[in-house]
Amino acid sequence: MKQIQILLVEDDPVITEFLRTGLGYEGYAVSVVDTGNDALNIIRDTTFHLIILDIMLPDMDGFTVCRRIRNRELKIPILMLTVRKEVADRIKGLDSGADDYLTKPFSFNELLARIRALLRRAGNIRESTRIIQGTLVLDTNRREVRRNGRQIELTPTEFNLLKLLIRHPGRVFTRETLLNRVLGYDYDGGTNVVDVHINHLRQKLRDRPPILIRTVYGVGYAFHPDET
Amino acid sequence: MHLPAGKISLTAKLVFLYATLLISSVLLVSYYSYWNIWQLFITNKTSHIRARAKPVIEHWLQDQKITDPTSMAKKISRRNLLPLARDLTSKDTVAIILNKQGDIIASGKRLSEEPTPPPPNLKYVGKALAGDNEVTYWSKVNDKAILVFLIPLRLQPDSSTIFGAIQMSTSLADIDQILLRNGSMQISAVAIVLCGGVLLGYLLIRYSLRDLHSLTDTCREIAKGDFSRKPKITRRGDEIGHLARSFNLMINQLEKMFDSQKRFSANAAHELLTPLTGLRGSIEVLLRGAQDNPEVLNRLNKGMYKEVNRLIRICDQLLAVSKLENSCHVEKQKIKIHSFMKDFIQQAQLLARNQTVQLLQGPSLTLIADPDLLEQILLNLLSNAVRYSPANSTISIGWKSLGQTAEIWLADQGYGMDEKTLTHLFEPFYRGSSACKSETKGAGLGLTLTRTMVEAQEGSIHVNSSSGRGTTVSFTIPLASR
Repeated sequence: MKQIQILLVEDDPVITEFLRTGLGYEGYAVSVVDTGNDALNIIRDTTFHLIILDIMLPDMDGFTVCRRIRNRELKIPILMLTVRKEVADRIKGLDSGADDYLTKPFSFNELLARIRALLRRAGNIRESTRIIQGTLVLDTNRREVRRNGRQIELTPTEFNLLKLLIRHPGRVFTRETLLNRVLGYDYDGGTNVVDVHINHLRQKLRDRPPILIRTVYGVGYAFHPDET
Repeated sequence: MHLPAGKISLTAKLVFLYATLLISSVLLVSYYSYWNIWQLFITNKTSHIRARAKPVIEHWLQDQKITDPTSMAKKISRRNLLPLARDLTSKDTVAIILNKQGDIIASGKRLSEEPTPPPPNLKYVGKALAGDNEVTYWSKVNDKAILVFLIPLRLQPDSSTIFGAIQMSTSLADIDQILLRNGSMQISAVAIVLCGGVLLGYLLIRYSLRDLHSLTDTCREIAKGDFSRKPKITRRGDEIGHLARSFNLMINQLEKMFDSQKRFSANAAHELLTPLTGLRGSIEVLLRGAQDNPEVLNRLNKGMYKEVNRLIRICDQLLAVSKLENSCHVEKQKIKIHSFMKDFIQQAQLLARNQTVQLLQGPSLTLIADPDLLEQILLNLLSNAVRYSPANSTISIGWKSLGQTAEIWLADQGYGMDEKTLTHLFEPFYRGSSACKSETKGAGLGLTLTRTMVEAQEGSIHVNSSSGRGTTVSFTIPLASR
């Protein structure tokens, strides 16, 4: 699968840092520029699938950058970031050619969802609802899991846990990360609950060696697909 | 317009006052005119009767063939004088004739319908016998007002010998009747005038105060926060128009202050939101799994630390601004500019990075200022100059006298700024394009604060700059009067 290229136009170092890191973790390739002119220059030579554009830039505002990109008849999806919440500003942003508009401080999850939606609309990725790894098939639309054609009944938490693991085969997730991403950031319980869910999952999947959900001692869990 | 219970509206007060004035003046006028008419009637009647009596007396003298005082004295008897009394008596007037002692000699009353004459009053009779031709007085018979006048009886009108007096009394019933009719007419006229006057006054007062009511309504709308409502009666030339105009002026001023307050808080919120975005995003990315990588964890933590510090800086400056704007603790004292600047330049040299700070001595002056604020102003300006100046450049500080004030200036050979930046320079949270690139981001309140501090000491601040040519900031501080 080819990597999605995202151009981030933002001059605040901390926001740049977490976006670069966070989007990198989600599997996107991120390039960063901090001025409007740099942004206009870089898109001349490089093809991006999406641009995340801050409105307050040192040399020109985001609206101008957006209009200049559209004047070049480039149809790259543009997501605007701004602290201004007023309807007039949103209208101005969308009218200057942006495809979507997000106000600071935004939720990173929402940003990811909007990025996926924009990419889907632009036809850059046909996000398959079916994930096939070895003998395991997971359908995110029907929320259905089959192994060797046999349907397995899972609770929503177990389903989300499996979905996260199966999407990143081989990657080791710590218990904390799994807890945060499946049960939410504000879940206050201990990490033991993750072990309980993993155990249930393993039983329902009839996970026997070579095991699908492997324990990485002292760290967490990782998914390894079996051979078909 | 609704007034609290128990309060009387201005309209009611004015109408009451107006009605009271109107009623008292009308009553005064009608009483005066009534009295005047009465006087006129009396005078008229008196002279009429006197005029009628004169030929009757002369005729009687001729009739009795009286030519000298001696013959006159012989004729003073009831028999001789009765015809005279009869002749002088008419339907409403009765004459009686008195001798020199004041005794009644003859009475003209014969018919019962003729009024009864009042008994002679010796005090007035004495006056008449002493030669007074014009004795007239009031008397009462059976509770009816009677006008009495006395005519001395003598041979010739100018002769000094008096033989007696004729008392003529006349009832005033006819005058009373006329005046009563006239009075009732007058009362109804007064009532009509009063009713009409009060009504007209009420309408007039209401009309004049109508704009006051609309002004009150407008006030109430504005109190609800709708500044778009303005009084529309500003073209009136009177006091209410004047009030409306002053009111408009006040509203505009308030609106301006309100707007700047609103802009300030909106800007403050924006400024706070940017570091918060960094914090929230970094935490989210960490929670999503980035925390498992120690190197990334460290990097994001450092970023968050910076953002928290930035938030603290912004809050500090916001507090400083509001503190300075709310209660200006300015403790002014006399400051010798020479020694003050000498002390300051030592600090300044420590602050400079690679720049040279030089002091250009001006005239010896004594300022009236708060030394702490003055130092803070200079430090703020200096740190700006240091931040936006290249290494090995020179920053100069100096002063001069402008008569009533001293002008202190600080000039750098730095990057300067364009006109756009210059016009927005003192606005809260505004940062020039070069400031965005600077490493330590301020809150954009430094110069706002500086200006507030200068103005708190009754000074003003000016910036002269152009791109690439350096910047000169100068501000004024009042001089101590000698």
